Amino acid sequence: MSALSRRAIMSTFMRSFLVQGSWNYHTMLGTGFAFAMLPGLRRIFGADAKAMDASVRRQLDHFNAHPYLVNVALGAVLRLEADGADAQTVRRFKTAVQGPLGGLGDSLVWAAWLPMVSMAGLALWWIGLPVWVVVGLFLVLYNAGHLALRVWGLRSGLRYGRDVARTLREARLAQLGERIKSIASLLVGVIAGLVLAGRSGLSEAGLLWVVVAIVCFVLGLLVGHRIWRPAAIGTVCAIVLIAAWGVVR
Amino acid sequence: MELALIALLGGGLALDATSVGQFMLSRPLVAGALTGWMLGDPALGLLIGTLLELYLLVSFPSGGAQFPEGATATVVAVATASASSTPGAVPVAIAVGLLWGQIGGFSITALRKANGFIVPEPADSLRGTELIAAAHLAAVGLDFFRGVLITGTGVAIGRMVVARVGAPWPLGERESFALVIAGAAVSVGILLHDLGGFRKRRALFVTGLALGIVGARLL
Repeated sequence: MSALSRRAIMSTFMRSFLVQGSWNYHTMLGTGFAFAMLPGLRRIFGADAKAMDASVRRQLDHFNAHPYLVNVALGAVLRLEADGADAQTVRRFKTAVQGPLGGLGDSLVWAAWLPMVSMAGLALWWIGLPVWVVVGLFLVLYNAGHLALRVWGLRSGLRYGRDVARTLREARLAQLGERIKSIASLLVGVIAGLVLAGRSGLSEAGLLWVVVAIVCFVLGLLVGHRIWRPAAIGTVCAIVLIAAWGVVR
Repeated sequence: MELALIALLGGGLALDATSVGQFMLSRPLVAGALTGWMLGDPALGLLIGTLLELYLLVSFPSGGAQFPEGATATVVAVATASASSTPGAVPVAIAVGLLWGQIGGFSITALRKANGFIVPEPADSLRGTELIAAAHLAAVGLDFFRGVLITGTGVAIGRMVVARVGAPWPLGERESFALVIAGAAVSVGILLHDLGGFRKRRALFVTGLALGIVGARLL
């Protein structure tokens, strides 16, 4: 651990923003993971080219995780390498940690934090706030959580190494996700109310459009993701047909 | 010149979706406003961005999943809408954006397959560590180029389409807006489904609905 300088850690942190840059179906994040680890590994292995080469090859292996929580793995693997862990330990750790990091990140960020902040941004637009306020608040709020998660992940990984799984459990990220989803559910209701009764709302276009929108909403609620693509295609087809009607009439 | 600048913006925003940062500059809400600013009409940009954000609420860059690309779709949609001032501009732009989002999604899948040939494998000769950084950054560059190409093509086609069908569009402004919102209501329903479903969240949803209606009447 003492082999790692603040500069090397900062460099790994900055490179973690590009961890998905070469995402592919073969090694997934493998190359990005190795790319982010390079500054730390150079610091750990110094002039020992053979050890450096062996470590870099370990990092190139297949790996996948959520792009924000990948910092937990980056920190922990740096700690393992600095402590002189053998190749099998590093590989086993990476294999064990990738599933939980992916699942936790997806449920916390993509399924809770992003929808909640997006709904908040949409509500602000609907109540008529200026463009720069809506966009600014969306970006500041979203990235406050985003950056906090990245910093916390790298620090936890570096501090606890292979024991970082316990830290993940203690952080209660899943419970945090549930709370965020509750707020997002409230905001979904707010948006529905604003769309129905707000400025340029559906009620101004007539009862027929209110009924159509409610039917569409219930369809999405009952069927879930399977209906998204057919609904998008249906919307595009409806617009094309109306446009064609306008052209030929 | 304007088309080139829009295409470059699309390339830059496409990078944010997966390759670089994921600061959510690529979300339709932000991408729409930025494109609107570039074209001199941020309000139109945010309107299109808001509508596409509603559609793409349930689409996010998760793992290896194929997803519609929101950034290029939004840039294309805003540039399309800005080329016409008829009531048909917004719905036609949304249709073009939704279609282009799918094409952008397919191009991401193709890029990820191509990346598989670019990146070094553990057994390859690494020539120190230079090859890793070079391959990784080349893949990022390829993603930018993909975004530029998809956006540029989309804007050119979108503007041709809206010039042809924007003027004879038969619906008024309110009905056109309602049509787009009704389609987006499916995504809002899917989002509530993803958040736990109506049964689990009904108290919060109904409270929010009441707040929204009251707030809309007061404002």
